[in-house]
Amino acid sequence: MTRYVIRLFAVLPCLLMASDALAHTGDVTGGFASGFAHPLLGPDHVVAMVAVGLWGAFLGPPAIYLLPVVFPLVMAAGGVLGILGVPLPFTEVGIALSAIVLGLMVAMAARPPLWIAALLVGVFAIFHGYAHGAELPPGADALAYSAGFVMATGALHLAGIAFGLLARWPAGRIAVRAAGGLIAVAGVVFLGRLA
Amino acid sequence: MMLRALATVAFVLLADPAMAHPPPLGLKGFFGGLLHPAFVSGHVLALLGLGLLIGQQMPAWGMAAPAAYIVALAAGLGVIALAFAPTWAGEAVLVLALVTGGLVALARPLPEAAGCVLAVATGFAIALDSPPEVISVREANIMLIGTAFGASILLVAVVEAASRLTRNWQRLGARIFGSWIAASAILVLAIRLVR
Repeated sequence: MTRYVIRLFAVLPCLLMASDALAHTGDVTGGFASGFAHPLLGPDHVVAMVAVGLWGAFLGPPAIYLLPVVFPLVMAAGGVLGILGVPLPFTEVGIALSAIVLGLMVAMAARPPLWIAALLVGVFAIFHGYAHGAELPPGADALAYSAGFVMATGALHLAGIAFGLLARWPAGRIAVRAAGGLIAVAGVVFLGRLA
Repeated sequence: MMLRALATVAFVLLADPAMAHPPPLGLKGFFGGLLHPAFVSGHVLALLGLGLLIGQQMPAWGMAAPAAYIVALAAGLGVIALAFAPTWAGEAVLVLALVTGGLVALARPLPEAAGCVLAVATGFAIALDSPPEVISVREANIMLIGTAFGASILLVAVVEAASRLTRNWQRLGARIFGSWIAASAILVLAIRLVR
């Protein structure tokens, strides 16, 4: 009898503390916040994304709206590689190089054909997406995390475009090119840290 | 014997149902169903994608696509009421979010028939991914009616808002948002493939 009572008392706390079995696990808010913070907390991501926006604004239409539309899609393809665990060598080097190359493009006011610009940005987008995908925290709400980091990336592009629009004025043009130079220097620093 | 019976009763009384999605704000019944589409992130993504696509194609498209969506949604909820709940419905919703988001990003004129096909597929998939979260048949049916209203209202609201985006920068914003929807859907599909 006593044994039964002990067993019952062992079972009851389990029942009282059990929570619902839900298909959609993870904290949506936490997932979104961590996804949104991921690109913002990595200075290498921040400067490269701003450089994409700056360069888009510098190149003018159609690049100014094509790059922010194409970049998230290519970045998602890179994210898929990271999530699936497909090895992508030199990811961090690629991210640092993206800051150097894109910063230099802005600093030198380079105007290559649109397809070259899109290809260059697309290649770097794969590295950035791969890093986001590979670092997905276990247990996070996948959709909220993905939406968060895609939106943060888009917001950084828009910030770069907004600043890049200053290039319409001569003084603004100098400021934008100087910002491109600073981004390239930051990229060299990131690359140096990897060595 | 008595204690075993008590333990069984405790199990029955304290156990929570296994739910496909957590009840929105803890609400059940009609209002639980009404809010359901707005609280399942995959459904929100698909509804935003379809709504933006239909709104973007206005006024060339009429109201055939939203009407087809509502009919398919009702039919799908009817199927759910007959206790058919496929496991692939969540993935189907995400694939449709990817397709509609990608089409919004492309912003090319499309035949209305294509919109109707996508609307039917989205309505049906969302319905099949909305199994009632209650055990009583009566309450389940009330919840399904609420879901029918909620998912219809949400789509019509997005279509109405998207059709008002007539300025260039607004249409560009919709394209960027479409690419974010597609990118998020790609990533979540990859995560589901892995987990």
